[in-house]
Amino acid sequence: MRRLYDLAYGRSGDKGDVANISVIARSSADYAELKAKLTSERVKAHLGDLVRGEVLRYELDNIEALNFVCHQALGGGGTRSFRLDPLGKSLAGILLYMVWDE
Amino acid sequence: MTLRIGSAQGYYGDNVLAALPMLEDNQVDVICFEALAELTLAILQKDRLKDPARGYTFDISLIASKILPLAYKKGVPLITNGGGLNPLGAAQAIRETAHKLGLHGLKIAAITGDDLLPSLDALRASGEALAHLETGQALDPSEYPLVNGNAYLGAEAIVEALKQGAHIVVTGRVADPCLYLAPMIAHYGWAWDDWDKLASGIVAGHLLECTAQVVGGNSLAAMDAIDPYDLSRLGYPIAHVEADGSFILTKTAGLPGVVNLGTVKEQLLYEIHDPANYMTPDVIADFTTLHLEDLGDDRVRVSGVTGKPRPTALKLNFGRLEGYLRELIFTVAYPQAWRKFEQLKAMIEATWRGLPIERVEYQFMGLNSLAGSVATLPDDPLELVVRVMFSARDEATLKNAVRLLMANGLSGPAGMSISGTTVGAEPRVIVGLFPTTVQRQHVEPELHILEVE
Repeated sequence: MRRLYDLAYGRSGDKGDVANISVIARSSADYAELKAKLTSERVKAHLGDLVRGEVLRYELDNIEALNFVCHQALGGGGTRSFRLDPLGKSLAGILLYMVWDE
Repeated sequence: MTLRIGSAQGYYGDNVLAALPMLEDNQVDVICFEALAELTLAILQKDRLKDPARGYTFDISLIASKILPLAYKKGVPLITNGGGLNPLGAAQAIRETAHKLGLHGLKIAAITGDDLLPSLDALRASGEALAHLETGQALDPSEYPLVNGNAYLGAEAIVEALKQGAHIVVTGRVADPCLYLAPMIAHYGWAWDDWDKLASGIVAGHLLECTAQVVGGNSLAAMDAIDPYDLSRLGYPIAHVEADGSFILTKTAGLPGVVNLGTVKEQLLYEIHDPANYMTPDVIADFTTLHLEDLGDDRVRVSGVTGKPRPTALKLNFGRLEGYLRELIFTVAYPQAWRKFEQLKAMIEATWRGLPIERVEYQFMGLNSLAGSVATLPDDPLELVVRVMFSARDEATLKNAVRLLMANGLSGPAGMSISGTTVGAEPRVIVGLFPTTVQRQHVEPELHILEVE
């Protein structure tokens, strides 16, 4: 079994109640695979109740990376959030936990 | 001639003394300190309410007493947005310290004009909708008390301050990367519509503004390359910027850290939305055209950045006092831990019936407290750590809720315990952010120069 972490690394951060998660490919072959299969729908489905709004995907072919912008993703954002990790620092790791293929 | 820009602060409380090795070994021509996260101004407002002379970051006094003397001697200007809500007050405090230290002839620049709270009525009267960036809803000042309202300024007034020979520039809310862009414009004389160069400077600023995060901190890419004992003394980043805007990103020489394609990519995409349209007050930067080249020895070259004309509106963030929240942590163990949790929850609900508590949430620490529904919960756990979060408009309701619950201490499920440190804690204020925009013509940065005789 491979997880997304086997193909990519990344980092997450906050702007208000919006979180972004970068997914940076480990190789050009990995990037091609991510670009084809790591859709915003798949990311939203994986993150479940962590993300209540829409997920937008942006492509950076020049550095072989994707950027996912997740709306209503931090329980209200800032000090409003009840999350133990209100700034979403762990979201990249939670996304990279995704089972990629069996 | 290359301009070398050091970055010694990425948030309020960061290790600003990281500037010292940059200065001691003549590694930089200018040093920037970025102190303001989205919520920092709201935190500083609490200080200002207690004492109108305050409202700036405590780091200012450390910068003035420990870093400024050497920087002044070496002719290295310092630029900080740690003036927070009171850049003029910060400048006066710096002048006092500099006077005591005998820094005669020192020029201090303070930049104000980002604080729009006093002109809120005029703004609304002039037809500014002040619509929420996410929801589109207009700001209703009667909904919650407003704590602060600050527009994001660009580099312009800082450039002017540097041209007038300021040795230290103190601002309030300036957009993070623009703090770093300013010395490039002052040094190279880039035109205000030379969008590609401005955008390249913004990318440099964006890579520098979170200090340790581009030299191995908070990094999956550098995890294997860094000795964990070195994490506490990483060499903060420095950019070597050329006249065409291209630059080499590196770290403070002689200190640990890693700069490679991985750490640069991680920071490039940190806290950004559309990478082709990274909005700043001075330019819209496009991150999708740039080229990265690893030169070895912790140096990465960045070139090919392109830019688009600056936006007509500036971002404006309001902080609103929306209430208070409280955390309590309970523990239960085998047998039937889940059933005990249900009993605990029922006891809490019954105890709080009738209290004006707005929200209650239960989390299981170590099980789903980070991952929410992504986590799979165990069927029959040996232990459960239950985090109960709850909020109300006023502090008294929360204190009352805790007191009533503690009176049930011996009535709970078998083996239930509560974390004493959470019982003893105070309610925490909820400052909600209300991000919106304002037309540029309503924002007038003002430059003040103070001198030490």
